[in-house]
Amino acid sequence: MISNRRFLHRFFIRLGLATFTLLALGPVLWGVVTSLFPLTSLTSRPPDLNPVNITIENYILVLDTSRGLFSGLINSFIIAFFTSAIGLVVGSMAAYSLARLNMPGRNKILMMILATQMFPGIVIIIPLFLVMSRLNLVDTHFGLIMVYLSFILPIVIWILKGFFEGVPMELERAAAVDGATPLQTFRFIVLPISLPPLFATGVFAFIESWNEFFFAIILTRIDVKTAPIAIAEFSGQYTTLYGQMLASAVLASIPVVVLAIIFRKFILEGFVEGAIKA
Amino acid sequence: MGLWFTAPAILILLIVLAYPIVASFVLSFQRIRFAGEGLSHQFIGLDNYAELLSNELFREALFRSVYFTVVEVIAVTLLALLVAVMLNNPLGRPAFFRVVLLVPWALAPVANAVLWKWIFNTNYGILNAIFFGLHVIDKPIVWLGSPWLALNMILMADVWKAVPFIALLLLAGLQNIPPHLYKAARLDGANTWQQFVYITLPGLKTSIVVSIVLQSIWALKVFDLIYVLTHGSPADSTVLLNYLSWRETFSNLDIGYGAAIANVLFVIMFLLALVYIRALRPRQIKEK
Repeated sequence: MISNRRFLHRFFIRLGLATFTLLALGPVLWGVVTSLFPLTSLTSRPPDLNPVNITIENYILVLDTSRGLFSGLINSFIIAFFTSAIGLVVGSMAAYSLARLNMPGRNKILMMILATQMFPGIVIIIPLFLVMSRLNLVDTHFGLIMVYLSFILPIVIWILKGFFEGVPMELERAAAVDGATPLQTFRFIVLPISLPPLFATGVFAFIESWNEFFFAIILTRIDVKTAPIAIAEFSGQYTTLYGQMLASAVLASIPVVVLAIIFRKFILEGFVEGAIKA
Repeated sequence: MGLWFTAPAILILLIVLAYPIVASFVLSFQRIRFAGEGLSHQFIGLDNYAELLSNELFREALFRSVYFTVVEVIAVTLLALLVAVMLNNPLGRPAFFRVVLLVPWALAPVANAVLWKWIFNTNYGILNAIFFGLHVIDKPIVWLGSPWLALNMILMADVWKAVPFIALLLLAGLQNIPPHLYKAARLDGANTWQQFVYITLPGLKTSIVVSIVLQSIWALKVFDLIYVLTHGSPADSTVLLNYLSWRETFSNLDIGYGAAIANVLFVIMFLLALVYIRALRPRQIKEK
């Protein structure tokens, strides 16, 4: 009787896990499959998914330089890279001093940093757009990187603050006894032992900047259109080129999905748990 | 010295966050017109806000945003709780399932929108094909063609994308519940349901509050899906607050009015942020 119930219990959990896996991965797999078939296969009824028709034609077509996706991927890379790099340098210093040094108003600053995560982008982008138009910063890498720092910097500070608090203080005390300045201690003692979390935080910032759409649609015109913008435009203009639409979506998603899977341990422990611990 | 370390971060945040937030309130009291090379600013007091109250599209967008947010939060929290409990079970422990969760989360939101646009496609979309194959329908449904349905399809695509993160959050909360509590409860003869109600749910309280707040904020910000899937159509029925504010400002160039809508959104989210901070506070005291 008990083993029967146990069996049933396990059966339902397995069924639930299978359903969940199907629902989570099904749409993505369908998108990937679609991107590998020519239009004629997709628009025949029922869709003709004979493996002999598999082709990378859609990928070759969307990567043609006339399409905007190729330059979009490059722009996305430049912007995401510099946003994460600047965010790490500036953010790690702030996080360290918030974690270690006795500062007036420390808790207030921390709460304000947390609250910035909750501002709607539209509030800050209207005034910034007006200022940036006047300074000719619209449609420049620099302009977009600055605006991206508004949401990247608070995340970086928040994650790294949690990490620095966990670093034992003995090393720093020893360094201070030897006469090192706080900047030297930070640069030569704390940073070298913090490389893995720094790198992982950078990856997280990279994913967030790479995926960003709302600011990019407002602040890019021609020169610095990012990959998400190229995809949105493509799907608006060529509404019936389904295979190519999906191929560009897959291309823009591969880097971030791969990064997320490689760094899953950090994302789960550092970021997700950080959200429920103050 | 501490000030010196934080100075660069504070300087950047002052420029790209603090200044625009203040400026946005100032703009919302103005009528802004394009005049020759620049802009003309005219102070009009609360007129933009008065216009909001009398504008039917704003009231509809507000109502739809509230509907969208409430339904999304309920759906996401319940589904994520279900997923988290399954993944916390020994059978759900393998890393494979965490990878499964991370895929929809990491996907670029625009890629997600394009993906669902294709799934919802009237003629060749797989959703109609499935219903067709099951003989539920005999002619294709135009998923994004009628007002209420289109809004709910966007909602569905957003829920799909949002569940993984909240599930991971709740899973982290579940793993913080000491296992000996369950052992003690079993010794006392508590069944699975009683363990869930008396141990799991109270133990997850903070995580659930945080999930609800974060998810509300994200649902109020929804933009990419509307932009790619419907552009607000049919008949403005999928125009939510964030999208409306963007359209008034950057398409209709009514900058002051757009800023007023943005500020309404800001106030709603600010109140939610206060709830978030309060939810975290008792825990902080306990740990100290």
